[in-house]
Amino acid sequence: MTTLAWTPDPGPIDEHALLARTDAMTFDGWLPFDGRSVAMLGALSRTILADPRARNNPPYVALGYWLRPAALKRLVASFGPDQAGIFRVSRGVALHLPPTNVDTIFVYSWAVSVLAGNCNVVRLAQESDDDTRWLCGVIAKVVADHGQAGRHLFCTYAYGGDFEAALCAKMDLRMIWGGDAKVRAAGAVPIRPDGLSIGFPDRDSFAIIAAEAYAGAGDEERNRLAEGFFADVYWFDQMGCGSPRILFWVGDASNVSNDFYRRLLVVIDARQLRATMSVAIAKLGRGMDALASGDATQLRHWSNELDVVELSRPVRSDTTGQGGGFLGQVTLHSADEIVPYVSRKTQTIAHYGLRPNELRELAKAIATRGGYRLVPIGDALKFSPDWDGVRLVDHMTRVITIGGA
Amino acid sequence: MIEALRRALERGPYSLRQEERDALLLPALDQLTRHHYERCAPYRRIIDGFSGGIRRSDSVSEVPYLPVSLFKTQTLRSVDPEAVRVTLTSSGTGNGSVSRVFLDTETSAAQQRALANSLMHVLGKQRLPMLVIDTDAVFKNPQLMSARGAGVLGLMRYGRAHAFSLTPDLEPDRAAVAAFLRAVDGKPFFAFGFTFMVWAHFYEPFKDAGFDLSRGTLIHSGGWKTMNERAVGNTEFKAALKRAFGLTRVCNFYGMVEQIGSIFLEGPDDLLHPPNFADVIIRDPVSWNPLPPGKEGVIQLLSLLPESYPGHSVLTADLGVVETVDADAEGWNGKGLRIIGRVPEAELRGCSDVIAVGER
Repeated sequence: MTTLAWTPDPGPIDEHALLARTDAMTFDGWLPFDGRSVAMLGALSRTILADPRARNNPPYVALGYWLRPAALKRLVASFGPDQAGIFRVSRGVALHLPPTNVDTIFVYSWAVSVLAGNCNVVRLAQESDDDTRWLCGVIAKVVADHGQAGRHLFCTYAYGGDFEAALCAKMDLRMIWGGDAKVRAAGAVPIRPDGLSIGFPDRDSFAIIAAEAYAGAGDEERNRLAEGFFADVYWFDQMGCGSPRILFWVGDASNVSNDFYRRLLVVIDARQLRATMSVAIAKLGRGMDALASGDATQLRHWSNELDVVELSRPVRSDTTGQGGGFLGQVTLHSADEIVPYVSRKTQTIAHYGLRPNELRELAKAIATRGGYRLVPIGDALKFSPDWDGVRLVDHMTRVITIGGA
Repeated sequence: MIEALRRALERGPYSLRQEERDALLLPALDQLTRHHYERCAPYRRIIDGFSGGIRRSDSVSEVPYLPVSLFKTQTLRSVDPEAVRVTLTSSGTGNGSVSRVFLDTETSAAQQRALANSLMHVLGKQRLPMLVIDTDAVFKNPQLMSARGAGVLGLMRYGRAHAFSLTPDLEPDRAAVAAFLRAVDGKPFFAFGFTFMVWAHFYEPFKDAGFDLSRGTLIHSGGWKTMNERAVGNTEFKAALKRAFGLTRVCNFYGMVEQIGSIFLEGPDDLLHPPNFADVIIRDPVSWNPLPPGKEGVIQLLSLLPESYPGHSVLTADLGVVETVDADAEGWNGKGLRIIGRVPEAELRGCSDVIAVGER
């Protein structure tokens, strides 16, 4: 495996040179929300949104919007001034290990760390698709154009070797994205003794719809809901951590659930989403597995892109973790009956038609089990600086307390 | 053995025309669906939950099917555990999980009888001296026992005076082959090997050895993946064997552990034909409706053999096309199948990285 760095185009780099560049970052942190950081991310937003390639890739559009200066200002404002006697500063040098496949994650992870004032090393996958290569190139170029190439290094290197150990030993912060196995394996390599390593493990997410609210909604709203649900499920082939795998209906859904799936099929068609043959066959197999084991009582094959199993009991997440448009469906009498399905792995519950007090009750009901986000359907994959219950900005910075001032 | 199977085996192998075959298979397949529905609870739950319960089929294409992956993930058995005589396993391709197929005495006997019936069609009624294009280590060493070993062992019962063309470390055993050919002394013999083994471990090392195999009949099987990578198709394969060894009776077959005993043999038209008690349906990968001859799609296999496990109708992960129906090439009838390859694997991207050794 060749060690590469983006400067701004990817090219081979000597490992000693890479370590030397990392060393040079050690004392180059800035204060959180430095104007230069915000300006660079704003320029990145403009570059992404102006490119036709991004316009055809909804997750890139979402990324571009998230990085807009106005959006970042709101984010900064939400932190407010430091408390008296607390001075918030950057942590130092951060290493980001993004998942191989959900490519926008590395940008969010990096961008929040940029705002926090850190210098960053981002380890990209050796093999990536055209879009991802394009995105990496764009970022490296914007960084260089803003004279910040010395503070942000995009590279790829082999895991498991001396180089990884040497690099990790310099890190004040490490963000490991990519599931249980990756967190275990990558987390085993020590970083600085006073450093902080944060892992984002396997997750499992749901959606919940109040049948009565759906029945009362007009055509336009129902279509909007189907659009939102489409984004939640299909953006990353239903393999995003926040993508719902089970859809819960609260109340009698017998008259509305088919209407919902039919509208979803319309969106799938309009977006020209097509499941591959092997995914279609795998989903049929997975659906029949759920029937054979008694986890489900019914399998409905709407199309190759949408299979729905009627679950008969709380299931392990791998039962519904097929991806590619494979949904468990459960009808509940009240929202709190979702509780047995919620575990430590649960991340997002995307909702529709629940009133604010019902959402609060739901949060209370799942509190001791798991779950981190209740978001409207359509926002399940929207990045938030509070991720898996981790307030990223807090963790990506440290504080100096000032006494006697 | 169900009555329709008995009747199918009484006819000339591979001779049944499609209309007669459909008429024979349809009620018998429905009977098997009901049989498994009553005796295999997971199968019953699948039929209830997906097909809306058991019903009479109006055509063979309406008989419900299971994707072969189910034999990896579920224990599918239509007999008591104590009645199981052999459990066949096959890794197939992909994630390392293993298919399990449960045979009781009766199904095992039916399967052997059906296989003998098919092989006799190309080998004749006499058991012939047999050259195995492999090593005896594949079944002698339990550590190495695999689908390949089981395949070799299964075919060996249809030959006698076995010789092996490879040493246990897969080195070509020129002396063993020469001794075998001396012993058969110009009389007919039978050779068997997996397609890739025949090519890489027999044809390639021996192509200039001057062996005369013109009295032999080679039966071979196995995935064409590696052969395709080497850009060797069936035509090149046959031409090369003829050129190097004068071997002209070369017969490919297609089958899978989930329908053990039911082999699609290569006829004189170079197409693969189902035995009388079996059939193939090509399905459209979007609508899953049956496709007419000439259209490529996913292969579904039907067979009357599986009684102790619900494997009478399975959806494979292979692509193929039915080129002819009742072409009557030297008496071979029914559908003439051409295999295109495996359904391409596609990996779904996601937040969880797949961790492989050396990369995470």
